[in-house]
Amino acid sequence: MKIRSITLKNVRRFTSATRVDDIGDGLNVLSEPNEFGKSTLFDAIQALFFKPHGSRDKDISSLRPHAGGAPEVTIEIETDEGRYSVFKRWLQKPAAMIHRNGTLIAQADEAEAWISDVLGGDGGGPSGLIWVRQGMTDLTGGSKKEQDAALEARRDLMTSVGEEVEAMTGGRRMDAALARCREELAVYVTSTGRPKTSGPWKEAQERVEMLTEQHETLGSTARDLHEALAERKRARRDLHEMESPEAAEQRRAKLELARKAHSVAERHAEKVDAEARRVEMARLTVDRARTQLDSFRVTLAEQQDAAEKVEVAANEAKSASEALEAQQAIRDAAETTFQTSQSKLKEAEASMALAQRTKAAKEGVERRREMEERIKNAEKMRSAMETAAVAARAGPSAKTLSRLEALSTAHNTALAARDATATKVIARYAEGRDGAIRAGDKALTDGRAHALPRAVRLTIEGVGTLEVRPGEGDQDIDTVDVAAQKLKEALKEAGFDDLEAARAAAAACAEAEQNYREAKAVLASVAPDGIDKLREVLNQIPVLDLDTEALDPDAAETLLENAQDAHEHARLARDTASEKLADDRTEATRAETNLTSFRDRLKRAKDALEKFGEISETDLVEATVAAEKVFKDAQAEYARILRDAPDLTTTKAALSRAESIEAQAKEKIAHLKPLLARLEERIGRSSGDAIEERLTETAEKLETAKETLARIEHEVAVLTRLEEALGTARNEARERYFAPIAKELKPLLHLLWPEAELTWGEESLLPDALVRDGREESIDVLSGGTQEQVALLVRLAFARMLASSGRVAPVILDDALIFTDDDRIERMFDALHRQAGDLQIIVLSCRQRAFGDLGGRALHLLPVTTETAAF
Amino acid sequence: MAFCFIHASDLHIGRKFANIPQPADGNIRGRLMEARHGTIGKLAKAAHQNSAEHILLAGDTFDTATPSPVVIRQALSAMGETPDITWWLLPGNHDNLRDAEPLWETIQRDAPTNVIALTDAKPHDLGERATLLPCPVAYRSSASDPTELLVTMASDEGKLRIGLAHGGVTDFTDSGEAIAPDRDRTARLDYLALGDWHGRMAVSDRVQYSGSPEQDRFKHSRRGVCLCVTFDGPGATPKVEEIETGKFLWTEVELQLHPHQDAAAALNAILPVNGRRDLLLRVAAMGWASLPDQVELKSTAEQSAPEFAHFELRTDGLGTQYEAADLDEIDRGGALRLAADRLMGEAETETLSQEQREVAGDALARLYAYVREDAT
Repeated sequence: MKIRSITLKNVRRFTSATRVDDIGDGLNVLSEPNEFGKSTLFDAIQALFFKPHGSRDKDISSLRPHAGGAPEVTIEIETDEGRYSVFKRWLQKPAAMIHRNGTLIAQADEAEAWISDVLGGDGGGPSGLIWVRQGMTDLTGGSKKEQDAALEARRDLMTSVGEEVEAMTGGRRMDAALARCREELAVYVTSTGRPKTSGPWKEAQERVEMLTEQHETLGSTARDLHEALAERKRARRDLHEMESPEAAEQRRAKLELARKAHSVAERHAEKVDAEARRVEMARLTVDRARTQLDSFRVTLAEQQDAAEKVEVAANEAKSASEALEAQQAIRDAAETTFQTSQSKLKEAEASMALAQRTKAAKEGVERRREMEERIKNAEKMRSAMETAAVAARAGPSAKTLSRLEALSTAHNTALAARDATATKVIARYAEGRDGAIRAGDKALTDGRAHALPRAVRLTIEGVGTLEVRPGEGDQDIDTVDVAAQKLKEALKEAGFDDLEAARAAAAACAEAEQNYREAKAVLASVAPDGIDKLREVLNQIPVLDLDTEALDPDAAETLLENAQDAHEHARLARDTASEKLADDRTEATRAETNLTSFRDRLKRAKDALEKFGEISETDLVEATVAAEKVFKDAQAEYARILRDAPDLTTTKAALSRAESIEAQAKEKIAHLKPLLARLEERIGRSSGDAIEERLTETAEKLETAKETLARIEHEVAVLTRLEEALGTARNEARERYFAPIAKELKPLLHLLWPEAELTWGEESLLPDALVRDGREESIDVLSGGTQEQVALLVRLAFARMLASSGRVAPVILDDALIFTDDDRIERMFDALHRQAGDLQIIVLSCRQRAFGDLGGRALHLLPVTTETAAF
Repeated sequence: MAFCFIHASDLHIGRKFANIPQPADGNIRGRLMEARHGTIGKLAKAAHQNSAEHILLAGDTFDTATPSPVVIRQALSAMGETPDITWWLLPGNHDNLRDAEPLWETIQRDAPTNVIALTDAKPHDLGERATLLPCPVAYRSSASDPTELLVTMASDEGKLRIGLAHGGVTDFTDSGEAIAPDRDRTARLDYLALGDWHGRMAVSDRVQYSGSPEQDRFKHSRRGVCLCVTFDGPGATPKVEEIETGKFLWTEVELQLHPHQDAAAALNAILPVNGRRDLLLRVAAMGWASLPDQVELKSTAEQSAPEFAHFELRTDGLGTQYEAADLDEIDRGGALRLAADRLMGEAETETLSQEQREVAGDALARLYAYVREDAT
């Protein structure tokens, strides 16, 4: 569909008929100042295509002029089928009519249906998609209704551009399934996938936790009840055993018996103690008597022993004193001998030192001589090396000799070649005529072939001459000459007359080199560190004076060794004598000390015997025998009493045990009664609380709660998986979904921003971000100018897609570029022109100067004259 | 004249059934609990109808060792309402002597005179013609045969020897407790009344489990009964008659499905028409079903469930048969189909864990349900 003209009557300021005519294909521009009526024109187009002629809504009311009247809009369109005039009037005598070539082809509802069909059905049409109202420069502006209509249009458009797009993305069914899935999932989980507070999942978890805790608590109480029952059973049994009359009588009888036995044992124990004390007294008397007798006997023996030892010690002390004096004399003599040997040793050491110094002086003279000889020899070798070096340099080099040898070989080879082909003469002398044939002065040898490379005159003695002229061509005489010449020149260049001379010179050179190496080896052996080093060593050898009176070193050494031996001998003798003297002195002191000690013992023994007074040993023996008899009698009595005594410890333990049993019984009874009361109370409380019943019930509830939780968790897993599967599939399809629009948009975008791309919102089907230089910017944060540029380009792309789906519709832009600067607007114009190739674009703008450069067909809104009114 | 008594066990009075899901507007737990209490009246009625003067309860009369006072008092009171009948209560493993000591003390102290707690293993006269030989359970778990003492337990000459015990017999349970199945012969018993097994079972002519008079699990698929045991004379084989006492029927049925079968119709076919209010039904779906069949199956189950006392559809054993047409119903292509294909792939990937496969399979089923609901 293309618009060819628009006629307004009674539309706002246009009370009389006004028309825009001659709207062509491609780009059309109506550039007029504000308040000229461009938006009125836009609204009139919208109304004609989208407002039923019976409508009286505010959009229609707003078209009515202040003066009143029925708004009328006539738009002439052209489709593939032909040219039509679409007319509508609202409010008064509303009408809708379609004419073709002046013939009414549809009116009223039929006309509305025809219009809808032309626009492409109910899918929302171009309004909001490619018709841009003034002020709606972005993609999401307008009322909610308009936005919904635009979204519907985009969906419809997307669906229309490819047969499988709707199916590919799942379309509304996908939306419904995904929404349903999310809605059901949202019952259970938060947006981050966690159990939702107060949701079924969370509640199920909490219920399981609560029941688990309750079950554990009840289980604990049940165990407590079982323990209490067992304890009560034990306590009852124990109490019954304790309180039975038989048991009490048995305990009492046992206690009485134990008490009696213990009393008897105690009395007997007292008798035993008294007898024990008597035995002890007798034992002490015996001991005392025995001690006195022993003491007397020991003191007497001590006196006798001490007297004998005093006598022996006096003799020993005298002998020791004499020995000490004798040893003192021996030691003094040894000291004198030692002093003498020491003086002689010092003299021998001095003679030895003098002899050694003299020997060193002699050795220095010899070493200097040797060193001077080595230096002389080394200098001779160095001179020989220099001579040999000069001689080595005089001969031909190996290379030169090799070249000469090669030239000589070449010459000889040439000669051999020449001679091989040359004419040969062989002389056979008659007997006695040897040497009669000569070539020049040289006689031809008998039987030998002589080559004749060139003409030769042979003299035959006695005959004359014989000239031999060989044929030419077979003999290479020039080659021989050239080779000879080259050899000659080479020899001359090398400075030799012939090859032998060169060879001799080379041999001499080799010999000189050998001499050089030998002299060098000798020098390295004689002076490895150089001759200067030898001189340095020579200078370091000291020059000493010779003492002519010095002894021979060997004699001096013998003399010294003898003196050392004598001195060592004297020292040992002196030390031995000193040690012996010290020993003798110690022995004398010990003997004197012994004598003093024994004298003291003798005195003490005498003093002790005096203390016994007149008592004799016999008296003491009799007293001891009497005491021992008394002791023996007491012991026998004690043993008799002890043998008959009961065991006090045993009777005491038995009594203690009997008393303990009785006390324990009382204590246990006292303990069991309140314990039983407490247990009764515990058991009564727990069993009254129906603890097992509640435990079983709770266990069943817990089991059910766990099953419920598992069911919910499975449900969440199922919904989560489904949402993920749907989302993933839709995302993948989205790329294909947006491919056509991206393809249309790409060249337009690149007019403004090379390599720029748009990303698309799944729900809105609109671009949500502009990607430039790899950086993604949300559409919302872009400048107003950029936003309106993106919006316009997107609409142009939509228009192309609409056209390609068979629903060609003009693009109508009412002041769609408000914020765009001059630079960008040029490129936007390029975009418009680019799309205008096969689209009809109608641009309404108040920016007359800026849009002056847009080009395209200029439109004008003019009053309808009589001539133009009819069509 | 014949001698007759009622044999019952495992009343489990006081059980609260907290593991049975109860809708907010339902009262199944209360009804089940009340039904257990109601067995007292039913047993008394059976006794009256058969002129039996004794009701032998072979253990686990109470569900726990310490029932609430209300539960105890109301049970004893109900038993006391039939003074012409003597109730013989044997401690079982749930109300064993050790853990339930306060319970038995309460019964001994407060029970009506026609209620006798058998807390000691000693003979009791059942009138002039029979002796009751009880084997009370001392501990909750014991690996010994509680009836062994019956071998030496004396009874009056010429009287029927009726044993009463609680525990499993060796040849059909691994409970660890071991009652010799031929105990009637080794202990010269005319009848051994056993409890513990909630299902009815005749071990032999003279050794019988009555089962619980009111069932509490899906295992036995029949209503609870008590036994009316009649002896025509000493040495005669007892005549054992089952008398139905259970109000609720607990049953589990298997629903075998295969692809292309109308799963909902198959489910409807096995659901009973009558008595649903007193029926606790567990349907275990097995085999394979497609996505739409599963949706229909669950929908049908959800629709029918409120009519039952309890209804449970288990699909653990039901595999999903994925068919192209079902996936096409989600979408023939595009993102929805891509998501569906991926989930199906995960559900069938054996290298993933069972849980991951189940999550993926259920996610696909959910997606299918969304799309279907959206379309309607």
